Amino acid sequence: MFSACLAVVSAVMAVQTVTSISELYKTAQPPHFVQMHKGEIDLQEIDAFLSEQESVTFRQIVTMVDVDGGSLSVAGNGSAYDLSDCRLDIGLVKQNETRDLLLNSEHEKVVVHSGEMGIPVLLKEMYGMEIGDRVTLASNGVRKEFVIKEFILDAMMNSTMTSSTRILLSDEDFELLEGRIGENEYLIEAYFTDAKEAPDFQTVYENAGLPQNGQAVTYSIIFLLSALTDIITIFVLLLAGILLTAVSFISIRFTIMTALEEDLGEIGTMKAIGFPFHEIRVLYLQKYRVLALAGVITGYALAFLIGGIFSNHIRTTFGNTEMPALAMALSLAVAGLVFLLIDHYCKKVLKRIKRITVVDALVRGIRSDKGKGGVRDGLHRSRKLPVNWLMGIREVFHQFRNWAVVFTVVFIAVMMILVPVNLLNTFEAPEFITYMGSSLEDILIEVENGENLEVGYAKAKQILEQDGAVERYHEYRRVRARTANREGTLLNLHIDCGDNAGNELQYLSGRAPERENEIALSYLNAMETGKDAGDALILLFNGSVKEFVISGIYQDVTSGGYTAKSKYNFPGLASVKYTFSVDLIDPDIAEEKAAEWSALLGAGVTADPMEEFIGQTLGGVVKQLQTIVSATVMIGAFLAMLITVLFLKLRLARDMQEIAVLKAIGFSEKDVRKQYLIKAGCVSAVGILAWIFLTGVLGGRIVNGALSFAGLGIRRVELIADPVIGYIVCPLLLLALILFATRVVAGAIKKYDITSMINE
Amino acid sequence: MKTILDVRNLSKRFEDTQVLNDITFQVGEGEFIAIMGPSGSGKSTLLYCISGMDRPTSGSVLFSGRDIAELDDEKMSEIRLNQMGFIFQHSYLLKNLSVRDNIVLPGFKSGKRPREEVNQDAHALMEKTGIANVAEYDIKKISGGQLQRAAICRALINRPDVLFGDEPTGALNSGASKEVMDIINKINGEGKTVILVTHDAKVAARADRVVFLMDGDIHDQLTLGKYDGSETESRREKRLSEWLEAQGF
Repeated sequence: MFSACLAVVSAVMAVQTVTSISELYKTAQPPHFVQMHKGEIDLQEIDAFLSEQESVTFRQIVTMVDVDGGSLSVAGNGSAYDLSDCRLDIGLVKQNETRDLLLNSEHEKVVVHSGEMGIPVLLKEMYGMEIGDRVTLASNGVRKEFVIKEFILDAMMNSTMTSSTRILLSDEDFELLEGRIGENEYLIEAYFTDAKEAPDFQTVYENAGLPQNGQAVTYSIIFLLSALTDIITIFVLLLAGILLTAVSFISIRFTIMTALEEDLGEIGTMKAIGFPFHEIRVLYLQKYRVLALAGVITGYALAFLIGGIFSNHIRTTFGNTEMPALAMALSLAVAGLVFLLIDHYCKKVLKRIKRITVVDALVRGIRSDKGKGGVRDGLHRSRKLPVNWLMGIREVFHQFRNWAVVFTVVFIAVMMILVPVNLLNTFEAPEFITYMGSSLEDILIEVENGENLEVGYAKAKQILEQDGAVERYHEYRRVRARTANREGTLLNLHIDCGDNAGNELQYLSGRAPERENEIALSYLNAMETGKDAGDALILLFNGSVKEFVISGIYQDVTSGGYTAKSKYNFPGLASVKYTFSVDLIDPDIAEEKAAEWSALLGAGVTADPMEEFIGQTLGGVVKQLQTIVSATVMIGAFLAMLITVLFLKLRLARDMQEIAVLKAIGFSEKDVRKQYLIKAGCVSAVGILAWIFLTGVLGGRIVNGALSFAGLGIRRVELIADPVIGYIVCPLLLLALILFATRVVAGAIKKYDITSMINE
Repeated sequence: MKTILDVRNLSKRFEDTQVLNDITFQVGEGEFIAIMGPSGSGKSTLLYCISGMDRPTSGSVLFSGRDIAELDDEKMSEIRLNQMGFIFQHSYLLKNLSVRDNIVLPGFKSGKRPREEVNQDAHALMEKTGIANVAEYDIKKISGGQLQRAAICRALINRPDVLFGDEPTGALNSGASKEVMDIINKINGEGKTVILVTHDAKVAARADRVVFLMDGDIHDQLTLGKYDGSETESRREKRLSEWLEAQGF
């Protein structure tokens, strides 16, 4: 039932995520290509360029007024706060006419009037804002009050992993504030017949020397960043669904075996009076079919009830959509598949009936699973081990098959618990940033391109040189050179150069560049150029050609995932951006220092404490994961307990005579209970250890497979396990639960009466 | 002769059925008692009650002066482990252990002697019962007679005061049955108290005294005297058969 439930939830979510995003995109129509630009701009020149491009079917330039988070204060529901700690760049915009629309949860174009504001759901989630809250904008001596009228879905910027977010104002308010409160940022948006034309267009655009001192983003990156959280959720649910199906098969096998054992006499009688095998099997099969069907239907219903918890994120981020017919169909198909799998498995297990002979069943009373391994002489050699331990351990190791069910269930339960827990931990760990193409430091300073790029750079460098709190810093200069892709077409390569460039990143192959003729490529660039570590790469810049050797391939999601790192300084090539990674003597003051430097450096330069950067970037993913992880941990633990209880009940029934003998020869009930606790504990411990042993290999592979599938530019993530949680707390907790279940079930031994058990 | 087992007014009831009815009898140290009776007379129930494997509904069972009917599971287990030995109709050896491991198990559990000594005792018992050659065997691979001898060894490993047997030869052929009874008589000859339930006159004829049970009551008792092998078995059996016939058996 659980497996059907989870399988259905994941199928529904997968379809819902894709269809919700598609629905949202259909109405909102985010651009296929966006070039952000801050500072002076010649709108006519750009418009002229865009109109010349045959591939561009629609174009628009959106003006966004950048405001500092600190200039926005919110009051509502008894609380008052400002947005100064928001890492996202906040821009004020007015509604567009036909494309790149900001929508409400019903996917309708939002219209706000003067004094009203449309707040992105991202900010709502971060700060817990409510409709009707009052927002005060105070910047550059301008002060204006707004009321939150609507929460808006921004198809382009709805992920915390994008760097900006847009607040919607009425046309009048926007005209009033433009040019008075902050710098203008322009979103140069282009649409094509096919979104895939965006990367080619990007190269053409950049080479035309048009304004580009901001991020350039393509449709596929927008889509993927938006869906990341839900892709991970689906992955975890799918994993749990598959594992649960495995567990359900174990349970089925167990239930059938027990039933066959109990009904041995009846089966023998039926065979004796001439019932053929398949007719006896049908008798059992019908029963299990009805049970499986009931389980699948209940699971299906349950899936829609609990699915709401998991798809909450989809609804919030992408709005309410009707349950798509495809989701209904797919979930039905998944439920049907689970049923068919169970049916097939039941048939397979019931084949045992064929092997039971009339004489075995009626005369000898032989069980259907006769012949369980040999007996090893050796107990008498033990000198010290207490007898209960001796009996428990010997059974576990010499008759492991008898306990394989508990081993498998524990193994699966640990996997169900630890993979999501480790995944969550990985997302929460500071090191995760290195998987994303960023190095790990206390503070990250980014001097964005703009007219004052060099000024900003000099200012930042001066601060870092003079501030005694700085332990060390590395600077990177981003330049742009060209190289050929697989087809031979030239594409732009954004290269971060500096002494430390490429260090501290996670390499899929090769290593960081060490010499000046070496370059490291991001995974997506490596795919684009068709190169791997060790290959030569020709770069064109300043009218000259230079050959580099690719030292390694790293994963990156920054700058659209298309980056490169080199120690070579590309003299004479203009800088596009500067980045400083700063380590402080006392990392605890990172937040304070970042704020201090931000204030000193002013607009165009951001100084972010890394921890906060990560927290805000991955906050959405982490929050969603927490829900999923709690659910899978609970399901995993519950399952481990449930199966242990079922297994032990059968085990005790089978061992009844042996327990009676033990009691007859002087073992107390306490001794017998202890033996079962030792057996269950040892098997569980072996299961847990087996998983821990495999966790590095398998856990990582499962996650990497999913990430690679998602095509985000991250292909390999080594799960960062919290050793205390992963290797001590979770296993011990699971072990404790299993021992508790064993203790409860083994309590029944008290009711066993030696004489009736012996005479069974 | 010192009394080792003093059964007073013992009654046992299973729901609506009165199985044992106010039974009183004593067993002396070193005595060999056979309990006989028709099916349903309560002989096995009586054996289980006096050996502490089952609790009487009323009455007392004084074992070496202690009322075992009042003991909790821990204390009763300790008595079963160290002072009592059991043989059942089937050997009931633990199937996951070898013959030798089955025998040493109660000795190891008791912990009163070093394990080395327990092993030596086990070896001596196996030699005595003629199963030393199958010591390391899987119990599924030896004969019924050998199994029952192994069960006797297990029952004796902690040098108990009393050996209880519930139809110990019930599942054996006549040859094996005789061998097992010879061993039991030998043990009894060494001073161990033996109390057996049997429906086999040949087995009961080896006992010092036969207690005949009918409908939950002791109907009569026959004293045969010590079996020392000199008196021919047939004479004891004949005497017993005549007596049993008089009981209507």
